[in-house]
Amino acid sequence: MKKSLGIITLFLAICIFTSIYGEGFLSGYNLMNLTQRTALFSILALGAGVVIVAGGIDLSIGSVVCLTGIMTPWLLVEHGWSPWSVIPLVLTMSAAIGLFHGLLITRLRLQPFLVTLCGLLLYRGIARWMTGDQSQGFQGGFEDVRSIALGRFEIPFLGDYRLPATVIPVLVIALLMGFCFSRTVWGRWLLATGRNESAARYSGVPTAWLTTGAYVVCSLLAGFGGMLFIFDTGSAQPSDFGNFYELYAIAAAVLGGCSLRGGEANVLGILVGTATLLVLRTAIILLGLGSQLEFAVIGGVLLLGIATDELVRRYSARRADRVSRVSH
Amino acid sequence: MSMKQALLSSLVLAASTLGIAGIASQGDLVANQKARIAEFAKQPKSRAHVAFVSNGVADFWTIAKAGAIAAGKELGCDVTVEFPGGGLSDQKRMLEDLLIRGVDGISVSPIDPKNQVEVLTLIAEKSLLITNDSDAPAAPRLCYIGMDNYIAGRMCGELARDGCKGGEVAIFIGRLEQDNAKRRRQGFIDGLLGRSSDPTRYDEPSKVISESGYTIVGTWTDSFDRAKAKANIEDVMIKHPKLALVTGLFEYNSTLAVEVFKQSGKSGKILIAAFDEGADVIEGIRKGTVLGTVVQDPYGYGHESVKMLHAFTKGDFSMVPSDGILSIPARVIKKDNVDAFWTDLKAKLEAGKAATKV
Repeated sequence: MKKSLGIITLFLAICIFTSIYGEGFLSGYNLMNLTQRTALFSILALGAGVVIVAGGIDLSIGSVVCLTGIMTPWLLVEHGWSPWSVIPLVLTMSAAIGLFHGLLITRLRLQPFLVTLCGLLLYRGIARWMTGDQSQGFQGGFEDVRSIALGRFEIPFLGDYRLPATVIPVLVIALLMGFCFSRTVWGRWLLATGRNESAARYSGVPTAWLTTGAYVVCSLLAGFGGMLFIFDTGSAQPSDFGNFYELYAIAAAVLGGCSLRGGEANVLGILVGTATLLVLRTAIILLGLGSQLEFAVIGGVLLLGIATDELVRRYSARRADRVSRVSH
Repeated sequence: MSMKQALLSSLVLAASTLGIAGIASQGDLVANQKARIAEFAKQPKSRAHVAFVSNGVADFWTIAKAGAIAAGKELGCDVTVEFPGGGLSDQKRMLEDLLIRGVDGISVSPIDPKNQVEVLTLIAEKSLLITNDSDAPAAPRLCYIGMDNYIAGRMCGELARDGCKGGEVAIFIGRLEQDNAKRRRQGFIDGLLGRSSDPTRYDEPSKVISESGYTIVGTWTDSFDRAKAKANIEDVMIKHPKLALVTGLFEYNSTLAVEVFKQSGKSGKILIAAFDEGADVIEGIRKGTVLGTVVQDPYGYGHESVKMLHAFTKGDFSMVPSDGILSIPARVIKKDNVDAFWTDLKAKLEAGKAATKV
């Protein structure tokens, strides 16, 4: 919680500012939309977080989102497959992509940046070729399957707010990850691998398998996220679906406190980091700033927040140091 | 005359000479292309190779591809179709590669015609240039095939005006950089507000316009990110709870508006004036939740482009109208003609899929 204080403060500041100066920010409908978007992007950011903790990077997240997001309606609508076979197939394929990345990185010793950059090009290319560049959608059908992402639960005393069903998998994944990092040997080993891979390996930690596992989790979550995204939007075009989502996922994870140098995990921070990015996007519209300013405002606010957080941390560290010197 | 004045006068003279030379060279390039076509009349190409280049990747272009391939088969010429997925730089690379391959003519939909004059000039120098879908009047093109996006936008605006008698209106569009998007948006605004026809008029996207009982609350872009496009509609609904009508000026914008209103229980309460032929939009027209949609004829763009370029390689310039614009007008699809339109479109889409596998 202490580690997430900076990002939580920034998040609350944006929320308070937008609720005062923006219209309808605290309406049930807006909060429901924000919860839904945060849940969808959190799945990608949590996956990116696992790889970053292990000291790696995955640039193929957006393309995996595209491939799985396009494949789902393509198999269901165009080829008439049953959802019971499509969902497990798509998830298995996503995990296999992660395994492929992991093995190339750990066994062939290829650089993660290059492997996943090639993946970024490869999977989108496959999606475009497979569908002949035609957009894919559910054409008004499959409402029961789409309810995985579109389902809403009524919450007593919260007016017209409905809790999106996507929150459930996100909470399960986040709790599992939190438990894994703080309570299991595997989680500790992964942190050790990210902090100093050589030291961990010489200490007997199976670093190659842990790194491979991290890529499997990341791609699996990207694939699952891609499915939820297409269930949410209803249709997608292979050339642009999921474009740059890897950058949002990585930015959210790093904002949330995962160091790009590896070895630092903060599950709560990742969730708040994702929410901060998405609340900022909404704030721009509700404050009437105009969509042309979107990227400038997001970049400016985040930079200000990160710089302030860093300065406050340094000040606190210096103060603590001074206090300890005086007491000695 | 002082030294300073003399220098200034020389600079002005040099600039104007260059300017005249520039204008003359564009005219020369058109004349050169016509001369090459005249040479083809004496020595026609036995088998021509022509190219069709879109401004992006969309179902719309797949139908255009079907038209181009069909024309190629009818006329016995080789056709290369390219869809640039990476914007301006990708389109430039594809056009340069086609010139290296030595194609006889190119029909292109320029993404940013004002800033693509160099590459378009290069095509005119080395091959034969026509434009489709989005025009580049300043470039040395021989003909433009397509509709006037300002007029199509007006048709959409008038459709909205007929179905919605006033209130708040929001505009959603993928991006505003390309010429056809700007003209389409302006046409919509002018048509909705009942203004006189003036394609040179330009209302700032961030400006709120209140006229004739309508308030256009803004224009939102999404750079083709569907999650962002959907979020834009949801957020604008919160910011403007009294919204009476929205328009999606790119195909997926209208489709997502149908989806968002369905999810939020606003179907039929907030009206939609659509553009292009998304499946959900067509269903919405049938159900009465969408007022109607303005559709283009991409099949015609592809077919007529190949037919014209092929004619050039036989020395035939007769397909080009005197004003250099071959108009393929847009149509308004409403409840009364939606079924006939959909049947015809499905047949073309099937042809498009078959063409993609070629």
